[in-house]
Amino acid sequence: MTAGPIQTRTEEPLPLPEAETPPERRLPPGMWVRENLFNSPLNTVLTIVFGLLIAWVVFRATRFVFVTGRWQVIEQNLTNFMVGRFPRDELYRPWIAIYLAAGAAGVGTALYARTRPPVPWTVTLRRASPALLGLVVILSLSRTWLPAALTVGGFAVGAAGRLLGNRLPERARRLLPLVGLATVLLAYVAFTGFGGVGWDNWGGLLLTLFVAVAGIVLSFPFGVLLALGRRSSFPAVRVICVGYIELIRGVPLITLIFIGALVLGFFLPPGMTRPGLTMRALVAIILFAAAYIAEIVRGGLQSVPKGQTEAAKAIGLSPVKTTMRIVLPQALRNVIPALVGQFISLFKDTSLLGAISLLEILGVSQAVLAQQEFLGQRVQAEALVFASFLYWVACYSMSRASQRLEQRLGVGER
Amino acid sequence: MSETSVRADATQAKGGEAMIFCEGVDKFFGEFQALADINLQVGNTEVVVVIGPSGSGKSTLIRCINRLEKHDRGRIIVDGVEMSDDVRNIQEIRKETGMVFQQFNLFPHMTVLENITLGPRQVRRWNKRKAEDLATEMLERVKIPEQAGKYPGQLSGGQQQRVAIARALAMQPKVMLFDEPTSALDPEMIKEVLDVMEELAGSGMTMIVVTHEMGFARAVADRVVFMAEGQIVEVGTPEHFFTDPQEERTKLFLSQIL
Repeated sequence: MTAGPIQTRTEEPLPLPEAETPPERRLPPGMWVRENLFNSPLNTVLTIVFGLLIAWVVFRATRFVFVTGRWQVIEQNLTNFMVGRFPRDELYRPWIAIYLAAGAAGVGTALYARTRPPVPWTVTLRRASPALLGLVVILSLSRTWLPAALTVGGFAVGAAGRLLGNRLPERARRLLPLVGLATVLLAYVAFTGFGGVGWDNWGGLLLTLFVAVAGIVLSFPFGVLLALGRRSSFPAVRVICVGYIELIRGVPLITLIFIGALVLGFFLPPGMTRPGLTMRALVAIILFAAAYIAEIVRGGLQSVPKGQTEAAKAIGLSPVKTTMRIVLPQALRNVIPALVGQFISLFKDTSLLGAISLLEILGVSQAVLAQQEFLGQRVQAEALVFASFLYWVACYSMSRASQRLEQRLGVGER
Repeated sequence: MSETSVRADATQAKGGEAMIFCEGVDKFFGEFQALADINLQVGNTEVVVVIGPSGSGKSTLIRCINRLEKHDRGRIIVDGVEMSDDVRNIQEIRKETGMVFQQFNLFPHMTVLENITLGPRQVRRWNKRKAEDLATEMLERVKIPEQAGKYPGQLSGGQQQRVAIARALAMQPKVMLFDEPTSALDPEMIKEVLDVMEELAGSGMTMIVVTHEMGFARAVADRVVFMAEGQIVEVGTPEHFFTDPQEERTKLFLSQIL
């Protein structure tokens, strides 16, 4: 049988190409180490050098935390770190506020959780782990059992709130913003009402949290307005906004805080009582952060395609509604990472309040070194490590929350 | 037949009353004249297809009709309302004109249903129930009721464009403007959009369609307008247009694309 020069028929079916799954390369640990860490003389040397370095750092750090660190300075001053000079016989006030917040958080999360797919408790635990770690560390440094017992009580109130929230009817969700506002107001009353303690006597973590949260909440809308103003079609508005942003961005924050603290008195009409130091510092921080937020939001506004505005106009939406419902939501979603970065930065900037003798966390950590018992005791490291830890817990929590927010809003990505 | 008589007759609306009336419209982008002395009437229920080479001012013309671009001279009257700088006038005209864009321009952060109900709820101030009922009806009309809960990013191009048509229709406009509605679509999706448009034309909607789909123009248009360099060069019925064009410019264009 003669075949043509090109044989097109084969006796058996052509073999199908192998399914293109990359081969699984799961090496046993010993092999993995040999292949990745000791595969050449240079790598062997590097592995040994860096391995020793890491081991040494881990060893020293562990020894410092658990053995050599003299944490008495923190233990003795734990209340100072938490609330600064807050009068000691008024300490029930922060606890009332905490319980209010715990209860409201329970109700709020219960109502909110209904609208979302259920989250396994391990995930919740992982999400809360930085905050829980902070709580455990703080409580472990307490010399009495009272704070721990009260914290357990706080969790109980939160759980009770959660149960209550689960029983509320669906339409109660509309009241959530109201519940939030009421909680903030009641907590404020718990601090200051009935012969309470004003801001100027707050300190430590309490002051840091207050200034940071108030700063974030108030500078954000201000910054958004500035960003919108910068794109306004009225030249006067534009000029004012650009001028403000460039002026503030050209000045260090510490200068603004000093101006608020020292110079402001000269500009106020005589006879007018000057606002408290905390208030002046807070205003400086808000004015400062707003300028940066404005620039971030402007970037977001520019990232929204022109077609979006045109489509909104074409269905008859007014300019205000176009901005509020179409442009801003997309603009803000696009800049969440940068915004949260700014908020984290603002949180840490509260440490500058120490410069005008407001005792926030860093201020307390410096002040305790001047106490009789710790003077010349070389416990700076302990005080600073603890202060850093508190900042880290807050900032890391914010960073993780931002990642989750991004992922969730990523639904319906164009 | 002289050149002037062709223009003068053909720019008149075919029916009685004019839904859209343009007279002596000029539009400049800086030094560049995008529209030059545009005179055009579109009658009630009429379907006008605008064709022409790119940069000829087709899109600019229909964008002037709902004030996405501001014309510099002349008059534009839509359903008896003259376009002026008065914001209320502009809003009034935009309520009566639906627009469909080449790039769909759906709102990516809203579901299909929210995209469609936004206009009726925010502009017409309807309650949620009424707006959603209408939106469902519109989605059935464009044959994708099952996509109501999805986000635009989860739909194909053809589906997105049909949602955009439903969104425009939900404002119950008297005029629909289409700005190259199929130019950004993959070939296999063009037909589903054109079918919806054809159905719409059959239902008596007044339409101005900028397109390169000559088959659509031939089958659906009452009149075809050919534009070049910002001017209306020739206007006529599809038969006249595709079989016996008068102007050299038109013949050249048609020979290039057919």
